[in-house]
Amino acid sequence: MKILIVDDEAPARDRLRQLIEESDEHVVVGDAGNGLEALEMTAELDPDIVLLDIRMPGLNGLETARHFNALEKPPAVVFTTAYDEYAVDAFDAQAVGYILKPVRRERLAKALARAQKLSAATLSAVADGAGMQNRRQHICARVHGELRLIQVEDIRYFQADQKYTRVCFVGGEHLIDDSIKQLEAEFADSFVRIHRSALVAVSRIHSLEKTSDGHVSVRLRDGDALEGDQLGISRRHLAEVRRRLKGRAD
Amino acid sequence: MSNPAETPSRDSQVFLPDFCAAGTILVVLLVAELVAILLTLAAHTLAGTFLTELAKMSMYVLWLALLGSAVLCRARPYIEHLEPARAFVVVFLILELMCLVFAEITFQVTAVFGAGAIIDDSHTTFILRSSAISSIIIALALRYLYISSEWRRSILLEAQARISALQALIRPHFLFNSMNTIASLTRSDPARAEEAVEDLADLLRANLGGPKDHTTLKEELEVVAIYQRIEKLRLGDRLKVRWNIEELPMRALIPSLTIQPLLENAIYHGIELLPEGGEVIVSGRRTGDQLHIEMSNPVSKTSAGKKSGNKMALSNIRQRFELAYGNKASISVVETDDLYTVKIVFPYGENLS
Repeated sequence: MKILIVDDEAPARDRLRQLIEESDEHVVVGDAGNGLEALEMTAELDPDIVLLDIRMPGLNGLETARHFNALEKPPAVVFTTAYDEYAVDAFDAQAVGYILKPVRRERLAKALARAQKLSAATLSAVADGAGMQNRRQHICARVHGELRLIQVEDIRYFQADQKYTRVCFVGGEHLIDDSIKQLEAEFADSFVRIHRSALVAVSRIHSLEKTSDGHVSVRLRDGDALEGDQLGISRRHLAEVRRRLKGRAD
Repeated sequence: MSNPAETPSRDSQVFLPDFCAAGTILVVLLVAELVAILLTLAAHTLAGTFLTELAKMSMYVLWLALLGSAVLCRARPYIEHLEPARAFVVVFLILELMCLVFAEITFQVTAVFGAGAIIDDSHTTFILRSSAISSIIIALALRYLYISSEWRRSILLEAQARISALQALIRPHFLFNSMNTIASLTRSDPARAEEAVEDLADLLRANLGGPKDHTTLKEELEVVAIYQRIEKLRLGDRLKVRWNIEELPMRALIPSLTIQPLLENAIYHGIELLPEGGEVIVSGRRTGDQLHIEMSNPVSKTSAGKKSGNKMALSNIRQRFELAYGNKASISVVETDDLYTVKIVFPYGENLS
């Protein structure tokens, strides 16, 4: 089996590599020092199993694992952690594989043998159980086979586009697989649904405008209005949008 | 109580304040005067003779109070060794005896100078009345002193217990990560693994030794340096620490393990969460008899608002500074978007309690 090691600490990566290379059963195809690197290398090297440290700068282990699901062929995941009482309980509850540091040879072998792919639902349940932030800080998009991470802070709105969702952010737009409904549930604290097919970042709304046909549409801070029937605010959502704008601290 | 060796300080075994101290005597006199007013008010109307009666009563009660203080001041060394219940009885008997003798002497003396003008009771009535009043007041006063000393003692004990509990809390995350680093180095670099084990042992020793009220700044900074070395093995170039502390007198006293947790926080909540790492800056300066130490670390924007562990370590340090310096020390935090700074100010040359 091909294994990718992900840990922000060099000695921890070395240790895992030593132990795996000794066993002859598996091959280490690479190692990465952070979540972003891990995503790129996973896309490129196509490992069967990724050993993923939970506490990492930037993208933490749980969020990295969630983005694996955007890949064509997501790898199986085994988490590593030095000490995370809550996370460990959550892993046990969801039957997610993990190893505790300092890593034991037998424990590593066992975890690798049992490693499995993790669904978004399982990972979300783990994050909840561990009391960690369930909300991703990035959205992962595949552009011509390459992974692109978009900071949630930079996103202006999501818009349903046939079977995909268009993410419009500062610097461009991409298509992703996540549905508006899923995104609304995950980012309810900073985004507001303005229409059946559109979810807008509350902080990026400049004002509401009346259109000639009596509907209301949203003007964004950056200047470009969301126009046309599709992007106007539907009657059903108008009250909620007004409420969120009122509650906005600015 | 059952184990005197564990009581927080030498003095707490005896519940009496130091009656040799001027402050205590002032309070005793004030209370005595209040008692005199009370007794006079109870026995006489406010008309005519009140002030004369109050003067007589005050004279009697104040002298008695002064004498009592003097006796307790002298008797303290003997009482100190007794357990509280016994000390209570002994002190009560001593004071009561003193009151009886004083009442008798007063009666005899006033008899010589014409008793009727000052005391209008018969001999027995006078002795009985004064001893009944004095025993009630002595018992009440002793009971009050005992309760208030117990109250102070329990506060002190509680604070110390909390300190030792919190101090034992070296972050498990750090401990296991260090062990993992050592396991890795054992093969790749045995010499460094050996150093790391020695460092970790020293650090654990400092932590497990329990709380020390004060250590020198030099010793505290040595512990910090050891801690820094271990973290450096793990984090490599991501961790940089700049020390600007030449101005600080190394002999200064400081509660132990107060700077090390600050660096631990700076790393755990700051450096570790930055992909490129960053630099912790520690600077110290002295203004008059105040020492200032400031520690700042860069923070990742995305990790903002996740500082619960941080607050706990800080409140522990704050509590210990308060216990050591009262209100002469302060700890403050300044947070900006990308920088977290803790400032501590404490007196130099103070005796730590």
